[in-house]
Amino acid sequence: MESPRTEDDQARFRSVVLPHLADAYTLARWLTGNRTDAEDVVQEACLRAFRGIGGFAGVNARAWLLTIVRNAAFSWMGKNRPAALVMVDDLEAVEQRQVGDGWQDAGPQTPEAALIAKADAAQLERAIAELPAPFRETLVLRDVAGLDYREIAEATKVPIGTVMSRLARARQRLIAKIGTNEPGTSKPETSKPEMSKPQTSKPQTSKPQTSKPQTSKP
Amino acid sequence: MTTPTDPDDPSLLVHAYLDGELDPVHALEVERQLDASPALASERDRIEALRGAIRDRLPRETPSPELVRRVEAAIGLAPVPSRSVARAASQPSWRALAASVLLAAIVGSLATWFALHPGPGETTADLMVGNHLRALMAPQPFDVASSDRHTVKPWFNGRIPEAPRVVDLASEGFPLVGGRIDVIGRDPVPTLVYRHRQHLISLTAVPAQALAPLAGGAGAIAGFNTLTWTDNGVAYWAVSDTAAADLAAFEKAFREAGP
Repeated sequence: MESPRTEDDQARFRSVVLPHLADAYTLARWLTGNRTDAEDVVQEACLRAFRGIGGFAGVNARAWLLTIVRNAAFSWMGKNRPAALVMVDDLEAVEQRQVGDGWQDAGPQTPEAALIAKADAAQLERAIAELPAPFRETLVLRDVAGLDYREIAEATKVPIGTVMSRLARARQRLIAKIGTNEPGTSKPETSKPEMSKPQTSKPQTSKPQTSKPQTSKP
Repeated sequence: MTTPTDPDDPSLLVHAYLDGELDPVHALEVERQLDASPALASERDRIEALRGAIRDRLPRETPSPELVRRVEAAIGLAPVPSRSVARAASQPSWRALAASVLLAAIVGSLATWFALHPGPGETTADLMVGNHLRALMAPQPFDVASSDRHTVKPWFNGRIPEAPRVVDLASEGFPLVGGRIDVIGRDPVPTLVYRHRQHLISLTAVPAQALAPLAGGAGAIAGFNTLTWTDNGVAYWAVSDTAAADLAAFEKAFREAGP
């Protein structure tokens, strides 16, 4: 029997994983969108964490567990809701093209900071839920779970530069949305059309995809 | 005024700057840009407002006990469900339930009664000491910091019906350091803060008729000395951890000071 090892692992699991269960659950809820699914994901993630606990290097338990939760959520979504997963490559193209214009385009319509500060929980939740998955997960890992950029890059397996641009894009969308949406009137997913736009050229070099010619330089 | 990265989107670095992800050199650069560009500065304000709203408004999720049980069961930890079943089976549950409900009701109402009807021991002095304690725990023991009575007295005007008499006793060894509003019952009352060596003295002034008739005199509560006296229809309460003799000297100085 391998019971001594199992007991060891259980003790480790208790001290490494259980303290962060609330964070794991919060992340899972944001990624899946509801509590029931989040519970399934957390249970699956905890199983994975338990199996892999021997390999945990003991540096940052929280980031380690959240990475597992994130991956578990992804395979869960792939199995149960494949439609919800956006093709990341397409999204990346859209995002690269838009990040540059976002803060300037918003211009005069962008709400005042005071308006944003007054946003209520329901408004925030709705706006975050409407974000495309990669944006949402980056934002939640940073602003809700409090991971730093490097940890997010490792958890989501993208370069830090991508983390930065996703985060900026996610926040810009929230800012635009919260300022323009009256509480209670949410429009269904305005970003869908953008995401399915065909990718016509390499994003890094082609900026003026949008109708507005971009001339301003800082 | 160029950044080494992302000339197309300076706001990208503002995010990283606010998240504390920039090294000092880049942070300095961003700060310079923020100073130079109002558009960028207001973008920074919006981002900060958003981060604040997410941090403060979004409810924290708590995993249900059911989930915790499922997780523990999944890895073979603590078979909680079976244990609770065993415990439940060993007792006549409805009787225990009824008894505990009754007990809880009794304990709860007694506690409420005691809380709302403080015994005779719960005096105004206790409330004064509580206010003093609270003030010591706050970042600063006063709302207005000034050793100038011409600053402190007007500060009270407009905040409470009647500004207290404010005198500076620096020459007697009790310099005025400020004032604050305390609450007794539900009434805001003015409190002056004096210093004596390293000790703070809270002096609360209440119209005498507003309180129960005063026994007057000195006392000690929880390590603090209290001293109370009435003068010109105003009841004064002094609370401090300074020696009782010093408090008495303080009272004398306060009474004798010119207007």
